[in-house]
Amino acid sequence: MATAWPEKDDNELLSLIQNGSSQAFSKLVERHSQRFYRLAYRYLQSREAAEDVVQDAFIKLWQSPALWQPEKNSKFTTWFYRIVVNLCLDLRKRKTPGPLDDGMQLIDEREPMEETMIRAQEQKMLEKEIAALPERQRMALNLCFDEGLTNQEAAQIMGINLKALQSLIMRAKTTLKARLASIL
Amino acid sequence: MAMNDKRDDKLDLWLRQRKVTPASSDLAQKIILRAQQVPQIRPVSLWQSIRELCAEFHLPKPAYVLASALAVGLVIGFSTPQDNDLSVKDVVAAQSFLAIDEAML
Repeated sequence: MATAWPEKDDNELLSLIQNGSSQAFSKLVERHSQRFYRLAYRYLQSREAAEDVVQDAFIKLWQSPALWQPEKNSKFTTWFYRIVVNLCLDLRKRKTPGPLDDGMQLIDEREPMEETMIRAQEQKMLEKEIAALPERQRMALNLCFDEGLTNQEAAQIMGINLKALQSLIMRAKTTLKARLASIL
Repeated sequence: MAMNDKRDDKLDLWLRQRKVTPASSDLAQKIILRAQQVPQIRPVSLWQSIRELCAEFHLPKPAYVLASALAVGLVIGFSTPQDNDLSVKDVVAAQSFLAIDEAML
């Protein structure tokens, strides 16, 4: 259905959604759902929870398209990242974090078995330490190391300036280095 | 110093290579299907809501004329002062008149 939709930028699609176009909505979801899923997953470490959050965020947009105000928000993705992050934070407040998804998901099948196991273990430890960081430091890390986001965009999403963001990242990395000293 | 740099680089690499369990292949479709069951809430202006209300109760033109005439009549009727209030003097006069009749009986 949406494949026949001509290439339109996000702002054009959003203005069509505001006029009730479900086709434009489909196109926007297909274009961005994976990207926002990755961010939500980094927060929640659970596929189901991350998918639910992305779904909720898009449904919220569909239900109330007037939430998007192009004159107030420069870029759709920057604005929508904030919505996804807020939903992740709400969910984390309501739930205690569960165990990581199946460890086998972290394994790269191209690596030798022993190396793979070590890497999976390291990743598990890294995720555990990231989860223990203060909220804002974790948010800064998740946004900055998420593909395609510049530091400037990450700062905009968090509503802080570039220097404050860099300071958060530096503190987060210092803490991680100290906590993971034995394996780094 | 070099050791510290090496640890920095390694941590950066780990952070960039954090694995994400892939989403379901039909995530987008699930969201689109779910949205089809949810109605859109669109802000409606006052003028638009009046127009929609008129469209909802569509009446032929003579009915509008009649309704307008009725409304104008009501407004005029209620805004005109009425002389049906009995003054105290009138009440006393009426009572004394009746009292005379009763005395005759």
